[in-house]
Order: sequence, then structure tokens, then C-alpha cells
Amino acid sequence: MEGEPMRLMVIVTEAILEDMLVDEIRRLGANGYTVIDARGWGEHGKRRGNWRQGGNIRIEVLGNEELCTRIAAHMRDTYQKDYGLLIYTTDALLHN
Amino acid sequence: MVSEPVVLFFLLGAIAGLAKSDLKIPMAVYEALSIFLLLAIGLHGGVKLAESELVPLLLPGLAVLVVAAFIPLIAFPVLRWVGRMTRADSASIAGHYGSVSVVTFSVAVAYLAQRGLDYEGHMIVFLVLLEIPAIVIGILLAKAGTGGGTRWGKTLHEVFFGKSVFLLIGGLLIGYLAGPENIEPLEPMFWDLFKGVLALFLLEMGLVASSRIAEVRSYGLFLVAFAIVMPVVAALLGIVLGWGLGMSLGGTLLLATLYASASYIAAPAAMRIAVPEANPALSIGASLGVTFPFNIFVGVPLYFWLAEQLYAVGG
Repeated sequence: MEGEPMRLMVIVTEAILEDMLVDEIRRLGANGYTVIDARGWGEHGKRRGNWRQGGNIRIEVLGNEELCTRIAAHMRDTYQKDYGLLIYTTDALLHN
Repeated sequence: MVSEPVVLFFLLGAIAGLAKSDLKIPMAVYEALSIFLLLAIGLHGGVKLAESELVPLLLPGLAVLVVAAFIPLIAFPVLRWVGRMTRADSASIAGHYGSVSVVTFSVAVAYLAQRGLDYEGHMIVFLVLLEIPAIVIGILLAKAGTGGGTRWGKTLHEVFFGKSVFLLIGGLLIGYLAGPENIEPLEPMFWDLFKGVLALFLLEMGLVASSRIAEVRSYGLFLVAFAIVMPVVAALLGIVLGWGLGMSLGGTLLLATLYASASYIAAPAAMRIAVPEANPALSIGASLGVTFPFNIFVGVPLYFWLAEQLYAVGG
């Protein structure tokens, strides 16, 4: 398989946190990120996404294992207690 | 009999939401409608302000602000000790009730327009001013004695550069600088269409509020009672103050409505960042699920009637 093995980190959280999170993700060393508006249902109830207070975002960051661990630790320590937050990583292949 | 037909659109939206209709206002349309409403209100106030003297407004403006600060200070101990809520929740809800709702204000403006009653242009200035202090008081109440840090920078940025305050002030300045004659070409867009856009916005509000209305039972009887009694108490403060300051009947209704209304846009955003430990479902649920519908269906006509009685007796 052609491509460079990477880790894809996905963060699903409240839309209100977007500005703060993307600043922090850059500061922690990410080369880039993608933000997508999201809606869904989970421990924090139904997030309809029809206005900002009820909206979720899904942030994707591609990087190495160490970067993902660093970002995940920071997110857990800072936001997990009070905000809806879901973080996971998967393997990814970078093709370009 | 409903005194102002636009509020029926709220009902329509709420019914659609409760009945799980597939009706949905796209996020982009909601954003566009809210930008329109905020600019229209701001512009209109700016034009009216351009026609009035500014210096005599300083003292009444100060009085309006000072009395407004009492609203969260009354609400907090009631929530904390009568309602036995946590400090964070009490403070957050108090902040929401001290702050104001632009849409409730808009409904009161439409109510006055329908009766051909005028109001003072600086009410829009009050609308902008009143959004902010209660949020700060709410945050201070939440943090008092807890020693916890606050993301003040981000919170104040959210308050001042959040869409609502930013567009209201922007519209106000544009209207004020342009003056009545130069704004005239914009009137068909920003004033003639105002009620129609408000109706569409209320439809969306009904949809959003329906999920909160469905949850009302889970808030507990205390919070529901608070969400109805608090606006009436605050409105009474507004009616007496407006009358005392010699405002027009229309101006007094708007002041009462401002005091009575609870924020569900600026305050939730600021509180979520500054007081994250507070449960947003309680504060938004009370303000949007109970107080907002109460105000637009019952409150505005009630405050108008109360103001009329005072003006009839007191002159």
C-alpha cells in the first residue's frame, strides 16, 4: 500500500468551543485541522445543530501518535469535566 | 384572542417540533434572519437616536442600568436558597434573566407598531447596554468564593464581538451617522420587511423551543414557577422606572419587556465558556422553553395593560 502511515484524530464536541480548540490544537503542534458542523445524540442529550448553542463540531487532525496523545491529554484535562467531548484516533494513510 | 399575529408563527413552529414534522429551517437561513433582525433593530434605533438629544439621556440611562443590575441580584438568592440549586446553576440562570432577548423586544416593537404607538429611540441603546452587565454579574456570582479561574478574555470577546451585540451596535452607529434621510432607501428592506422576517424567525424559535418545552417537566416545578414569576417582577420594576423617568407609554412597555426578557443567545454562549460547570439545559430551558413563550403570548400584553393602568392613575 502506497502512502505514509499516520494517525487520524477525531474530536466531537460543542460548537461554542471551536475558536479555543483550534487555537490550542495549532499550539500543540498540529500542521492542520478540518472542522465540520455536526449534530447527533449522546450523553449530553440530543444536539440538533440548528443553532450555535445546540450545535456540535467534529474536528479532524492528522498527525503522528505522539501529537495525537498530546492533544487528547490536553482536551481531556481541560474540557472533559464540563463539556460534551468524544475523542478517538484511527490509522490513516497519507497519500500526498 | 392573540393581540399580535406574529407570535402565532412561534406556536406553529412549536407544534411542528412537538409533532416531529420534517419542517426544518436551515442553519444558514436562521443565521441570515437573525443578522437581518439585529441590523434592522439597530438601524431603526440609530435613526431615532439621531433625532434626539444625547446629553439628557445620560442620567436615565444610568438609572436603567442600575435597576437592571438588581434583576440578577434578586434572582440569584431565590434560585440558590429557595430553589436549592447549585451556585453555578443559580448564577448562570440569574445572568440569563438579567440579560435581554432581542426577539422578545422585537415582538414588543411590533406590538407597539400595530397600535400606532411611538417609543424613544434610545430604547435600542438600552437593549445593547442591558445585554452585557448581567452576564458579568452572573459570572462574578458563580465565581465568588470558589477561587476558580475564568476565561475572561474569551468570555468578553464572546460578549462584545458575538453577533448580537456587534450587529446591534453596528446598526445603531450606521443609523445614527446616516440619519433619517440617508437611511430612507434602506427602509423597504429593513423596516417594511421587519414583521415578515420576525414571523419566519419566530417559526424557527418555535422549532428550537419545542424540544425545551417537551422537557419542561424535568426542570421541576420551582424553575417553571421562577421562569414565569421572575419576568413579571422584573417588568414591574421596568414599568415603575419608565413611568418615573417620564417615558412614553411605548417606551415604558419596551423597558418592561427588556427587564422581563431572558437571554438565550448572548448569555448562553458567554456562560457556557465562563461557567462551564453550570448545566445549560436548565438556563436555556427556563429562558427559551418557559419565559420566552410566556413573554410573547401573555407578558407583553400584560405589561402593556399594567403600564396603561399606571399612566391612567399617575398621569
